[in-house]
Amino acid sequence: MRKTWNFHGGVHPLENKTQSNQLPIVVMPAPKQLVLPLSQHMGKAGKAVVKPGDYVFKGQLIASAQGFVSANIHAPSSGYVSALEERTLPHQSALSGPCIVIDTDGKDQWGDLNPTIDPKLLSKSDLLYLIQAAGITGMGGAGFPGAVKLQPKSSIHTLIINAAECEPYITADDRLMREYADQIISGIQLVQQLLDQPQCLIGIEDNKPEAIAALNHALNQHMNIEVCVIETKYPSGGEKQLIEILTGQQVPNEGIPADIGIVCQNVGTVKAVFDAIVLGQPLITRITTVTGKAAVNAGNYEVLIGTKVADVLAFAKVDLIKTSRLVMGGPMMGFTIQDTQTPIIKSSNCILAAADLELATVADHHSCIRCGLCEVACPAELLPQQLFWFAKAEEFEKAQDHNLSDCIECGACAWVCPSQIPLVQYYRYAKGRIKALNNETQLAELSRMRFETREQRLVDEKSAKEEKRKLRATAAAAAQAAKRAANPTSADPIAAALARVNKRKQEQQTATTPKSPEEVYKELKTAAAITRTKLNKTSKALTDAKAQDHEQAAGLQETVIALTTKAAVAQAKLHAYETKLGLDPEKEKILQVSVAKANGTIRQLEKILATAADPKRIEADILNAKATHEAATQALADHQTNLTKKPTSAQES
Amino acid sequence: MQTFYFAIVILALLAIVFGAILGFASIRFKVVGDPIVDQIDKLLPQTQCGQCGHPGCKPYAQAIANGEAINHCPPGGEATIKALADLLDLEAIPLDAEHGSEAIRTIAYIREDECIGCTKCIQACPVDAILGAAKQMHTVIIDECTGCDLCLDPCPVDCIDMIPIEVTPVNWHWQQPEQLIATSSSPYSHGAPDHA
Ligand code: SF4
Ligand code: SF4
Ligand code: SF4
Ligand code: SF4
Repeated sequence: MRKTWNFHGGVHPLENKTQSNQLPIVVMPAPKQLVLPLSQHMGKAGKAVVKPGDYVFKGQLIASAQGFVSANIHAPSSGYVSALEERTLPHQSALSGPCIVIDTDGKDQWGDLNPTIDPKLLSKSDLLYLIQAAGITGMGGAGFPGAVKLQPKSSIHTLIINAAECEPYITADDRLMREYADQIISGIQLVQQLLDQPQCLIGIEDNKPEAIAALNHALNQHMNIEVCVIETKYPSGGEKQLIEILTGQQVPNEGIPADIGIVCQNVGTVKAVFDAIVLGQPLITRITTVTGKAAVNAGNYEVLIGTKVADVLAFAKVDLIKTSRLVMGGPMMGFTIQDTQTPIIKSSNCILAAADLELATVADHHSCIRCGLCEVACPAELLPQQLFWFAKAEEFEKAQDHNLSDCIECGACAWVCPSQIPLVQYYRYAKGRIKALNNETQLAELSRMRFETREQRLVDEKSAKEEKRKLRATAAAAAQAAKRAANPTSADPIAAALARVNKRKQEQQTATTPKSPEEVYKELKTAAAITRTKLNKTSKALTDAKAQDHEQAAGLQETVIALTTKAAVAQAKLHAYETKLGLDPEKEKILQVSVAKANGTIRQLEKILATAADPKRIEADILNAKATHEAATQALADHQTNLTKKPTSAQES
Repeated sequence: MQTFYFAIVILALLAIVFGAILGFASIRFKVVGDPIVDQIDKLLPQTQCGQCGHPGCKPYAQAIANGEAINHCPPGGEATIKALADLLDLEAIPLDAEHGSEAIRTIAYIREDECIGCTKCIQACPVDAILGAAKQMHTVIIDECTGCDLCLDPCPVDCIDMIPIEVTPVNWHWQQPEQLIATSSSPYSHGAPDHA
């Protein structure tokens, strides 16, 4: 017999195991509908790889792991994917999350399976790959993706198999060991193979003699595996507690077992490893205990992952009227579920249908009497009373200083508390707030950095602009200097520039070449157009301003009046010049129109010609039209030459 | 008498030596920057919203260091005021309503099909949390948005909404148990002392 150690504290609640561990595991047939949450494990949710309407075989991959800490999900039975939607999750929050819904077809048809004939030949990476592919997660509690723990950074000397099942009521692992001892041992050997053959200790409480016998029977002398029977005490199945019991070593604060060369796995998980590698079956079923006074057929059931709690309850003949509280998990660490449509997931080891008075209700609690019983009971050697005060007063920093993070939420303190204070709930609250606050601080730090980089960027941009401007200025100055150097006569650039300007002015004044009449005409036309547009714009602005009752309206009004006269003057000037030139824009327009018309007629006739019955006649028409066109063009040209001639003569006269 | 002088000399020597060490240390290990401003800045929520009347949290931290009241930051609310009061040894005062009231945290969401790609929101965002380019649809990096709502006003087509952060099973957490009257007794309390 191996030496075992003891851990601090612990309690002895009523075991209540015999209700459910007497009968063999019953396989529950596939229900009509399966609901598979994409997140059944710690870490990132999987990503659905099927869509509504797809047919899936039993064991087919339906959601793939996203990243290292994540897990694949497979179809537990064959059927059609009916929806990808939000459904209530089996989570303390009772919130909903994305789920794949499968309507089973009752055929329970397996897809392709790839069993391994001789697993001994598999390399480590093959083993890891198979475990990962099968979507194995921890089947004891938190549901941590299995492959993560199986690739530790340090070397492992001890593999601990958690078969303690210390929580009252639950007997899933007990029955599993009695009925699948050989498979469990093979699974352990596979894990040992993966971890370079560490010694293996199976920790099991002494209240499971049949399971102990079954395991011992499955073992043979040459195996590096030992069944260690330990005293029944809650919570010996806590990971850190079990390690202390079996090795006497303590996992450091905020550390993981691998830090001291230990890996811990649940019996259910190693059985799943066996199924995955030897049988090639992914994790799609689990053993769930259905128990409690309201359950008529209390016992253990092999249910498909995704089966709704309601279906399981019906199958186990749970009296819903008698049920006062439904708990998923055990009475110490489980959580109440309201919605029986929530599914069984990979980590759901028990459904407890408690009748009235069976479980302590959320009772009114009294003040803390400072009895200190909680401290005696705490397996993590914390000061629950202090933690309670800090959580209640929201002094989270102090709670952290008192190692709140080491609390495993086992509920031992609350169980012994004579004042029935819901201590664990306070710790959960404090932990949640601390996590949220840490998150916020991280976010704040991030935004501070981003803010500062942005400020820096703005400053940099500004100074870069300034720099550029300066550079341009100096370059220009240098160019000037060079020019001056090359042309020493113009000593003073300013004087030179002034001289240039003057010269140009004079030139303009002395420019004797009079503008041609066309130019003058054009200028007048433009001036008239500009004033017209200006007037239009301002009057529009004026109406807008008036509509909005703007104070600028008065100013605008004046501008409009001024512009109106200006426009009138410009128009008059233009007109005068036109008459002076003998221009007649109206007539010109008429002539232009007749040219265009003639042109159009020709086109039309040509078109008709292509399909016409009597082309001769149309051809004649076309000739006619062409003549008209020519005449019109001539008239227009005459008018225009007149125009150019006349002003010249006008100028001369 | 000799011992007396001896003692004085020894003490004087010690004083000189330690003085030198301290002097050296104060120069050698001089803390650069203004630690108090940084400390205050650390406590501010870094929403960078400007509700305090300063163009960002750091400037407000500077102002607090110069004596401005500590109750001008609505996003931080009571918690920040308390933390600041602790740090500066002041009394925690209620939030100054003139600067706004404490609201739940939100993040900006751009209705992408309505965005015309004017880049105005990018220029307004104090933490560069908006991604986009001229004439392209813009979007907010939710993990980096502080919910300051400074991008709302500049948007010419009003396509930005502030939406509260969704509660998911990941960020959900337990609430504090309801505070029951300590003296009320439960019918199931097994042997609990009734000290009503
Ligand atoms: S057992 Fe309960 S009442 Fe006693 S000290 Fe602990 S918390 Fe307080
Ligand atoms: S719930 Fe936490 S504080 Fe209470 S006994 Fe368990 S580990 Fe200790
Ligand atoms: S009001 Fe806004 S800008 Fe001012 S300190 Fe608070 S979060 Fe920062
Ligand atoms: S995206 Fe809008 S609300 Fe979010 S940080 Fe930037 S400006 Fe503020």
